[in-house]
Amino acid sequence: MTVKEKFQRWLKRLTVKKVIIGTLVYGWLGLMIAIVFTPVLWMVSAAFTDATQLAQVPVIPKLSEWSLVNYKELFTEKSTSDQALSDYLRAFATTFMIAATNTVLVVALSSLVGFAFSRYRFKGKKKVLLSMMGLQMFPSFMGMLALFMFFRQFGLLNNPFALTLIYVAGAIPYNTFIVRGFMRNIPKSLDEAAAIDGATNLQVMMKIIIPLAVPIMGFIAVNAFMQPWLDYILPSVIMPQRDTVAIWLFRFMDPLGHEYDPIKFMSGALFLAVPIMLVQIYMQRYLIYGLTQGADKG
Amino acid sequence: MGDTNDSKNVFQRVGAFLYQQVLLRIVHFFEFLGLKIYGLFKGLVLKFVYFFINIYKAFKEEPKAAFKGLSSFFLPGLGQVRNKQWYKAIPIFVVLLVFLVIEFATGSYMYALSGEIADFPAAAGEPFYFFRDYGGFFTKGIWGLVTLGELTLGDAYRGETIVIYDRIFTWKSADNSQVLLGEGVIAFSMLLMLGSVWYFSVKDAFRTHLDYVRTGQVEEYKVFIRRVWDEFFAYIIIIPAVILIVFFTLIPFLFSFLVAFTNWTGRVSLGEQLFKWDGFETFKLIVQSADWLKFFGDVLIWTIIYAFMSSVTVYVLGLIQALIIESKYVVFKKFFRVMLIIPWAIPALISLMLFRNVFADNAGLFNQLLSDAGWTDALREFLRELGLVGQASEGNILWLTGKENGLLAKSIIIIVNLWIGYPYFMMLITGVLGTIPASLYEAADIDGATDFQKFRFITFPWVLRATAPVIITTFTFNFNNFGAIYFLSGGGPGYPTDQIPESVRVLGAAPGQTDILISWIYKLTFQSTVNQYNLASVYSILIFIFIGLVAVYNLSKLKSFWEED
Repeated sequence: MTVKEKFQRWLKRLTVKKVIIGTLVYGWLGLMIAIVFTPVLWMVSAAFTDATQLAQVPVIPKLSEWSLVNYKELFTEKSTSDQALSDYLRAFATTFMIAATNTVLVVALSSLVGFAFSRYRFKGKKKVLLSMMGLQMFPSFMGMLALFMFFRQFGLLNNPFALTLIYVAGAIPYNTFIVRGFMRNIPKSLDEAAAIDGATNLQVMMKIIIPLAVPIMGFIAVNAFMQPWLDYILPSVIMPQRDTVAIWLFRFMDPLGHEYDPIKFMSGALFLAVPIMLVQIYMQRYLIYGLTQGADKG
Repeated sequence: MGDTNDSKNVFQRVGAFLYQQVLLRIVHFFEFLGLKIYGLFKGLVLKFVYFFINIYKAFKEEPKAAFKGLSSFFLPGLGQVRNKQWYKAIPIFVVLLVFLVIEFATGSYMYALSGEIADFPAAAGEPFYFFRDYGGFFTKGIWGLVTLGELTLGDAYRGETIVIYDRIFTWKSADNSQVLLGEGVIAFSMLLMLGSVWYFSVKDAFRTHLDYVRTGQVEEYKVFIRRVWDEFFAYIIIIPAVILIVFFTLIPFLFSFLVAFTNWTGRVSLGEQLFKWDGFETFKLIVQSADWLKFFGDVLIWTIIYAFMSSVTVYVLGLIQALIIESKYVVFKKFFRVMLIIPWAIPALISLMLFRNVFADNAGLFNQLLSDAGWTDALREFLRELGLVGQASEGNILWLTGKENGLLAKSIIIIVNLWIGYPYFMMLITGVLGTIPASLYEAADIDGATDFQKFRFITFPWVLRATAPVIITTFTFNFNNFGAIYFLSGGGPGYPTDQIPESVRVLGAAPGQTDILISWIYKLTFQSTVNQYNLASVYSILIFIFIGLVAVYNLSKLKSFWEED
């Protein structure tokens, strides 16, 4: 069948109702896409202009006025001359360090705990589970005043590793549930067979369950790696003199702050958002898996 | 009139649904709550009574075992030694030793012993704080927790004037209530851990002897290690995580909790003043003072409306999008799916800050577009008709900052939240739609069902059942969705000055019109012009109770959660 014939058949089947519904549907989708993309395009446009005022930024990026001046500034501007990286890259590196440590610790600890909860019966199990469930619902910054004080007392302020430990402690409960849910679906006959062959608990865990749980650990790892990039509140309190990317962004974002510079914010934000967006879209199916896990868990 | 019957049915169904889902749930909730609290108290009282009865019984029936337990009571590990179980005694002794070493290394008992007390005696009638001056981490910690400090800068004590912080001559330094409270909480928590080791030691000494009587032998070292490794494997692997959670989550929460019972605000200048235990005064203040009650009521109502609206709107739009994209009218499904999940892929923090700019007063994108198109005045008039914009406003529309446009700012927040949040549900529901068996639709086709009927009786119930738990999770998440408020509107616009009562205004503690509880708490705590720590703590406790109850109730309903295999 040629294209022409196909088209004719299609035209034949076309009814008025279909045309109207089709117009409405595509009109709606078009409108939604416009709503979704207008602010995004504006951000892109602002990041690549040489305009200094927000009001001068065109909504739709103009290719003829393309300029990298914002990024040049971003990657070279240093507040003190003896630092190797620019302020922005430095904040980026700090955050990267936090994110990497966070990933390793969260994955290791929550798979251990998830394993224990999916495989063993022990005294106090329900209580621990219930308190973890409860804890995960409270924003960690409710204890932030205390953390700030303790950290000041023990000289841990501005220490990225100490900040990471807070993240880890906060992330374990939620991830434990995810790991536990996943591991419960791994048949117990596997462990039993291994135990009959004389495997110890440790061997069962390391050689059988953990390798099977790699997909869910990947999901946790991505989440744990993402978290520090976008957290503002904790670092702003715990690391008052050391920037993470989010703090850097907020400084130029805050209309009340004396450094208010929305254009700078937009270029920095875009640079951060693009890799994260790509990862998110690429990891979509795993993240949806996590969502449905959440649905099971309630 | 089949139609009316049908619609009546629908209304009845909706009514029944509401009744079952909402009213019955609320009733169940309180029923459940009462039972839980009753059970908790009954359990506690019974436990307490039985504890003593059991001790009495033990001494009467198994005196030898009981005395071994008793020796562990006086010195943890001693009972284990008497049971000839060195391998248990040694770790217990080590724990005890660690605590003692910490206590003595951080205390200055040597100075006390070397006659310093005699050299600098407290004057007649002057109280003498031994633990304050010479105690170690634990004793001084408990002292601090109880008293929250006694001496401030300039006080005369033991012949010296309290001046600066000094490590060796501890008593010369002024007390800092917040440090004392913090260290006290840590010391208290660590002592609790020591207490549980102690308790274990007593119980174990008793049990081991009973086993010895029964079997005639004491468990051997190797057997014990093997058993611990097997049985306690679960404990061993969760311990690192639990310790982290205790120190970085529980202890800080405990600290915040305790602050609610003090008079600590930013006005207490530490060093010169101490803050003190204040009982339920702060609770009384927020309940009795009409000013605080008004703000609390406003904020609470807005928090609930916000949490509800932002969960429902994203759900509905997500559902609509999923249905449209999955419908037979749309080709290029994948293209539209990817395009429309973009807001989800952009980190929320960045989207929120971006929208703060989009709705900025002058240079914001929205006002820019409006004024380019020349629609500013028309839109302002329209919004004024709706009551979203105040009578006096002129010029650019102040989306997030106009003091008389509180409702407008609230609407904007919900709309932005919708922009950010709908793709999550779109994805979730798209996934659920794929799980509906095609046979259901085929059967419906045979019965001649219309598209709407198929949606009404097959798709919607199926989707709702699969996603209901997520709606509840989203609601609790939004209840505490600090970022959505703080980064977008910063809680603003503030209330018009004449609407803020004097007692709140002097503290600078009034919330903004779009502040939800959690963002107000943040302001109360960390805004350096406010720093009402105790108030913030009280509100935190209220949130804590609210969310905790909902969470526990939700969980208790979830059979799969408790199902053990």
